[in-house]
Amino acid sequence: MRKLMFYVPLVLFLTLALFLLSGLFSNPMERESVTTNKPLPAFSLPDLMQPAKRWQPEQLHGETFLLNVWGTWCPTCNAELSYMTELKQQGVKIIGLYYVLPVDPLLGESFDLALLQADVSNKLQQRGNPYQFNILDADRSLSLDLGVSGAPETFIVDSNGIVREHHIGDINPQVWRNKLAPLYQKWRQQDGTE
Amino acid sequence: MIAEYGQLALTFALALSILLAIVPLYGSFSGNQRALLQAKPLAIGLFIFCLLAKLALVHAFLTSDFTVINVATNSSSILPWYYQITASFGSHEGSMLLWILMLSGWTALVAIFSKGLPLLMQGRILGVLGLINIGFIAFSLFMSNPFARSLPFYPVEGMDLNPLLQDFGMIIHPPLLYMGYVGFAVSFAFAIAALIGGKFDSTWARWARPWTLAAWLFLTLGIMFGSWWAYHELGWGGWWFWDPVENASFLPWLVGTALLHSLAVTEKRGTFKSWTVLLALGAFSLSLVGAFLVRSGVLVSVHSFAADPDRGIFLLVFLLLVIGGSLALYASRMNSVRSQARYQLFSREVMLWGNNVFLLTATLVVFLGTLFPLFHKELGLGTISIGEPFFNQMFYYLTIPFALLLGLGPWVRWKQQPVKPLLGPFSLIALASLTLALGTLAAMQSIQANLALLGLLLGAWVGLSALYELYQRLSQFGSVSKGAFKLHASHYGMTIAHIGFAVLVVGVAMTKTYSVERDVRMQINDSISLAGYQFTLLDVYPLQGANFGGEAAEIAVHNSKGQLISQLHAEKRFYQIQRTVMTESAVHARLSRDLYVSLGEALPGDAWALRLYVKPFVRWIWLGGLLMALGALVALLDKRYRRGSSKLTAANNSEAANA
Amino acid sequence: MKMLLRFLTILLFAMPAYATEEALQFENETQRQLYQQLTAELRCPQCQNQNIADSNAVVSVDMRQKTYDMIKQGGNRDDVLDYMINRYGNFVHYQPPLNRYTLLLWLAPLLMLLALVALQLKRRRQQADEFSTDAAAEAASGQSGSAKLDAELDQLIEQYRSKK
Repeated sequence: MRKLMFYVPLVLFLTLALFLLSGLFSNPMERESVTTNKPLPAFSLPDLMQPAKRWQPEQLHGETFLLNVWGTWCPTCNAELSYMTELKQQGVKIIGLYYVLPVDPLLGESFDLALLQADVSNKLQQRGNPYQFNILDADRSLSLDLGVSGAPETFIVDSNGIVREHHIGDINPQVWRNKLAPLYQKWRQQDGTE
Repeated sequence: MIAEYGQLALTFALALSILLAIVPLYGSFSGNQRALLQAKPLAIGLFIFCLLAKLALVHAFLTSDFTVINVATNSSSILPWYYQITASFGSHEGSMLLWILMLSGWTALVAIFSKGLPLLMQGRILGVLGLINIGFIAFSLFMSNPFARSLPFYPVEGMDLNPLLQDFGMIIHPPLLYMGYVGFAVSFAFAIAALIGGKFDSTWARWARPWTLAAWLFLTLGIMFGSWWAYHELGWGGWWFWDPVENASFLPWLVGTALLHSLAVTEKRGTFKSWTVLLALGAFSLSLVGAFLVRSGVLVSVHSFAADPDRGIFLLVFLLLVIGGSLALYASRMNSVRSQARYQLFSREVMLWGNNVFLLTATLVVFLGTLFPLFHKELGLGTISIGEPFFNQMFYYLTIPFALLLGLGPWVRWKQQPVKPLLGPFSLIALASLTLALGTLAAMQSIQANLALLGLLLGAWVGLSALYELYQRLSQFGSVSKGAFKLHASHYGMTIAHIGFAVLVVGVAMTKTYSVERDVRMQINDSISLAGYQFTLLDVYPLQGANFGGEAAEIAVHNSKGQLISQLHAEKRFYQIQRTVMTESAVHARLSRDLYVSLGEALPGDAWALRLYVKPFVRWIWLGGLLMALGALVALLDKRYRRGSSKLTAANNSEAANA
Repeated sequence: MKMLLRFLTILLFAMPAYATEEALQFENETQRQLYQQLTAELRCPQCQNQNIADSNAVVSVDMRQKTYDMIKQGGNRDDVLDYMINRYGNFVHYQPPLNRYTLLLWLAPLLMLLALVALQLKRRRQQADEFSTDAAAEAASGQSGSAKLDAELDQLIEQYRSKK
């Protein structure tokens, strides 16, 4: 018994080593989302290009779609535009949630919708426009409710307006094939069955 | 070419470390004296080649040789020369080379200063250190070569040193910290040598003590400077963030502190043997685990280096060999040891055991707090965060009994201590502590049952008890002045370090209780009063440095009587190459309080955001750390550590009789 | 350490006469303290390892603003924490939730402490009987145990030396 006690440190260390080994192969920044499998939070936000038109969750029901959080200020978001445009051509419905940066007074900018619209049109013309339309989240309130920590992030929302997946990071062919496409297909197939 | 010479030197160092690991250990098993005698020259040669490699890297930085990837990514030609030198250990690769330099340096020091050790022991210790050297040098050469070139394509300008690291703190903090981390390798090697020999008399404890003290001294200073650096550099007035990387340095410190106390018992009383060996293995093992955590990217930290799973695998295998191997050796050798010494429940032995119990519990708290999120996630239970609230809560409960015990400990004799003779002194100390604590709060016009009162009580208890014990001890020599020269330096060291702990506790409690902060919007000539100080924004003007631009603010501070106390100069810098904004906060420091201002962004209407703090007693935190380190330094000067022979028996007898 | 205690004590400082606008206005000191405490305890979901008070990431700015708004509208500590955890998960709070797994965080240190104390007490009991005779023998020899051990140790060291 006394002899066995001297093996305790070794056993504890080996257990720790196992955890450290598995830790090496997982991303420490990755965290599970808690906003999935819940309905979209309530909101009423203007359309980016036609601010007079307001969007509410109910208007988005009926078809599974991707909700892509993005902004022209974000290089990764710009980079994924062209691939997402390909997805759109394959019939994937993508709605943009435009994540406005807080106005940085240091740079002397003030929020100017016309300027923003021009910037967005320009960018979408250059890189491709994957979006059906863009919802303008000027104070990032919907983003906060969705648990968005930055851009780009993408949600899969089913036909009943339930958030089914929360992907943090960009969409590229690999991520789409391995992670998002199967989920999207799954929920797409259930469209209209309920 | 110099960089290639550096790499060559490192390759030679690898060869020498392999020889150092093989030859003397072979000699120790075969009884070959000649092989044992090779240990010292090999160790010194190893250090020389590591030093050459380090110098070659520094040369590459000073000459802005951007064909070396490490230089191109961490330095620039407009970086001031002293930061170019520090940039040579600002990256993962460079810091690894610093680590190796320190490790080989300790190895050489052991070789030089171990004349008093039996040759067999020397050979084993240096052989073990050689083994550890192999691991790190190979890691540097094969997994993170600091001399790698990017030829034929290279940039004309470097990417500059991370602005956070362009600070005086960067010059002193990493070398001190690494000296500490790596220094525990020496205690580790002593313990392994004892395990190999299978002899557990107290000799190894006597020999290991000064080395452990030295390592602990550096680690204490390293952590303390790190804390001070974070405080004045990050601009949030915090001095400890419980970040995984900080915790990685705190873990070996806690175990190292326990080891220092446990070594005393093993040396003096020949007991706690298996325990002390385990602590010696543990302190360095935790240094290694810390290095793994910082460099493998398994944890999220503000300070960690860029992650690379291959490096992680290499380090993990190394950890398994070193820690797993040593713990296996421990388990197989230790079962035969039986301790003969007898002592009663109220004795110095049990007091020091109590010290170890609390320090190890604290270690477990920090360890779990750091790694539990990883366990939780890997078990598929989801992500959680553990931070300040958890640690503060646990350390609150651990500090109280620990400090009470610490006040008592030095008074208690070895073997057994009758309770009665202590009742008098301790009622006095308790009463004086209460008076001092309440008196301090009364002077601040704030008598209430709060954290500050608790901290003052505990601090006074520990500090007064340490001082009174010193007085008592000195009086035993006849008179205090007579005793002052007779008492061992290590006793003074202990007293100073304990007072350092008391000062630290007071500092933490007072700062936590009475700090105030305000986020304000100020225009020129606006003022605000905070905790009795009037802060006035005098001017904000553009700033141009060597590799940064930005804004500087002048803030005048007046006291409640309207006298000018200081004019503070806070900066907000924009580093062009790295495109990062840095706050250079302004601090006016006094023993009783810090005034702390950091400049935020410009706001519409010619105004600026400023963050103001008044932080009472915050200096005491670092003062306490300094005193602890000073205590270790004084103890290191103890003659016993340099002789360790029969000449001392007389001196020891007289001390023991007094104890 | 105990943040709660901090609330009570801050009040002693004279309230400043505002010539300057505070970035965030609070109705009372309790609200300000709550805000400072919460922003120090909430973790920025985007950063490496920072609380939202110390981080300037957009999401931290938004979370700070939300915390402020909720406190101003009379929300208490739990309201704010629930709100954030409902959106960003337990990750966002530096104090882990108490469940049967995380219980280990508090329990393990306590158990280790108790185990170590029990170990020592057991040894004490084993030695208690032997001690009296041992002490008597020592008293007879006229030398304290510690001194004897020290002498033995020095002798041993000498021995080792002469061997080389």
